[in-house]
Amino acid sequence: MACLLYLEGQLERPRAREMALHVGECATCRTLLHALESESRVLTSALTEENESMPARLLSTRGWSMPSWVWTLAFGAFAAGAYWLWADTVDPWLQQLSNAGFGGTDFVSLLFFSGAFWEGWSPMIEVLQIAALVVVGIAAIGLLRRRFRRPTAIGVMMSAMALALALAQPAAATEIRRDESVLVPATEVIHTDLIVSGTSVRIDGTVEGDLIAFTGMLIVTGHVTGDILAFAGQMRMEGTVDGNIRVMSHTVAIDGAVGKNITYIGNSLDLTEKGQVGGSLISVIGEADLDGHIHRDLLGIIGRTHLDGGIGGQMWLRGRNLAIGSKGEIGGPATFRGLRQPVVASGAKLASPLRIERQGESRRMMFSGIRLVVNEIVGFGAALLLAVLLVTVLPGFFRATLRETGRIGLPIGVGALALVIGIFLLVLGILLIFVGVGVGVAGVLGYAPILYVAQIFVGAWLGNKILGEVSDPTIAVVGRIALGLLILHVAGLIPVLGGLMWLTVALWGTGAVLLGFYRMSRAEAVPLPA
Amino acid sequence: MDARRHPEGMNPADQANEQKHIAQAKAGDAEAWGELYRQYAPAIFRFCRRAMPTREDAEDATMDIFIKVRQKLSQYDSSRPFGAWLYTVAANHCWDLLRRRKGRQDLETGEIENMPLEHPDPGQLEQLIERSTSQQVRRALDQLPARARMALVLRYYADMSYDDVAATLGVRRAFVGVVLLRARHQLRDILGGRRAMAGGAT
Repeated sequence: MACLLYLEGQLERPRAREMALHVGECATCRTLLHALESESRVLTSALTEENESMPARLLSTRGWSMPSWVWTLAFGAFAAGAYWLWADTVDPWLQQLSNAGFGGTDFVSLLFFSGAFWEGWSPMIEVLQIAALVVVGIAAIGLLRRRFRRPTAIGVMMSAMALALALAQPAAATEIRRDESVLVPATEVIHTDLIVSGTSVRIDGTVEGDLIAFTGMLIVTGHVTGDILAFAGQMRMEGTVDGNIRVMSHTVAIDGAVGKNITYIGNSLDLTEKGQVGGSLISVIGEADLDGHIHRDLLGIIGRTHLDGGIGGQMWLRGRNLAIGSKGEIGGPATFRGLRQPVVASGAKLASPLRIERQGESRRMMFSGIRLVVNEIVGFGAALLLAVLLVTVLPGFFRATLRETGRIGLPIGVGALALVIGIFLLVLGILLIFVGVGVGVAGVLGYAPILYVAQIFVGAWLGNKILGEVSDPTIAVVGRIALGLLILHVAGLIPVLGGLMWLTVALWGTGAVLLGFYRMSRAEAVPLPA
Repeated sequence: MDARRHPEGMNPADQANEQKHIAQAKAGDAEAWGELYRQYAPAIFRFCRRAMPTREDAEDATMDIFIKVRQKLSQYDSSRPFGAWLYTVAANHCWDLLRRRKGRQDLETGEIENMPLEHPDPGQLEQLIERSTSQQVRRALDQLPARARMALVLRYYADMSYDDVAATLGVRRAFVGVVLLRARHQLRDILGGRRAMAGGAT
């Protein structure tokens, strides 16, 4: 012991002097000191030799400033989005709740398609403009401060996208009209596409192209040769549309002829006796009165349907009620999946017997207490199995994502941003793409696994916090995940708070998973987050 | 200043340049921070590689250390050598990680307390040193319990004083010699087998 301390200069001066004298006389200790000194040299040499290269992901220094940009952009956009949601949707909606006129069961329609949000798009566009300008400002400051780099490019690109969305720059062959009230008189013919916004829009004339409308009230009595894409509080179509109608609106009334399909998300649809749909009707709505004629199929999730018109092709419906009147006709197979027995009048003409899939009582049982607990247990088990799979099959991804989870604020911000963008893209996909519903559903199916996996990482983080971090022994890692997941699933049973907790977990974990994907995809090029 | 702490060498001009980069990095200049990172990351990675049980752990630890250092840069006292401060942060971080792995820690303490404090037979030790290659020593180091390995790395790689080692490991200064001695014993055991190292001088 003393020899080592002497060699390393750690002995008190008098003791060191004694030791020096002893070493001068004792050959064994001299040899030992020499051997210990050699051992120290061997140790230092073995430790300092560069036998392993730096991993590629630690080599590059690009991207050092990016995370701060992600922070800024994520929180900036989320703050703007949250403000906008509150100021333009939630607050007015709460105030107008009593006047909304919706049934309590139709909650989704009530939440999304009523209130000030749908009473006019102009205020929303202004808020978007402000949000976009803020983001552009932040990006510009970064651009002026430093030379052009990737993070700045990302900032500028996102800002430009936001600005493009907000300002909707005109295409070359598009006419744009924006006013409090816009009227295209019967005598007027517009030879291009028309983009129009205002509190009310009325098209009595002819549009030889597509009509894109952002308005509280849209009335079309004239002729549109292309498609109608509308975001409106209410829409009434009494004229002729040669193409498709794709609309998000509180109410839609079709009293004219539509050449192709109607895709509609909203609250209520009235297809009058005069109403004609050349193609199919695809809709997710609260209620529908279908007295007119649909030449092809009816596909929908509709709370209450009253069919007293004709359907040329097949019908597939999911909802609460279906009533087919005496004038009702269905040319192809018809399926109804719902809570209640459909009512079919004696005079109705169905090409084949109505196929009924009752959800009935068993469905309600889903929400009983015992069933809820069983569901949580099954959900916990499934999540744990998935976690084991992740830890063993994708350990690198697991570690990267878990590390991102530990940053808390960043993944929550990114998760919130992803949710806002995801919903926006989903709605846009449904409305803009011809086979939009399929794409939208595919999008949701793609997003769902990430939402599911989210809980694993938050659970792992929680388990690590409680039991201390481990990374090597897989059993210990899984044990921590199990503990975290158990806590989450038990807490999830608490009414209201449990729901809020799952929302936070979803945002947090989704953000972490996305960041984890990002880190893994850039593992060879981007080194460190800041 | 030890070359291990400044792997690219440190003349006065380099030191001035480093101080400039530190000041700029403190002010938020990403380029200056990148420069510091490029200069120190290899050494810190090697330190982590020695201190942590796996290469993956070392990579993660290196990333986390630099994240921490960047966040704490404003707390850095420029009168101290930057490299020494960086190693202190790195050592604390690695030791913190290792300590949290409770299972390993528990396994280690029982065994180390029983290690003898006597020195080995000088002749046998010299033979062992002559026989052992650097690679064998590194492999043996990898097999050491966390505290023993960390103590050796702090002392013989990071060139830390006994005070710094004591502060990092959370032990009394007087106990550092014991920890090092026992760590060396364990290393010899792994390298040459227990019987070969039995007996010895005072």
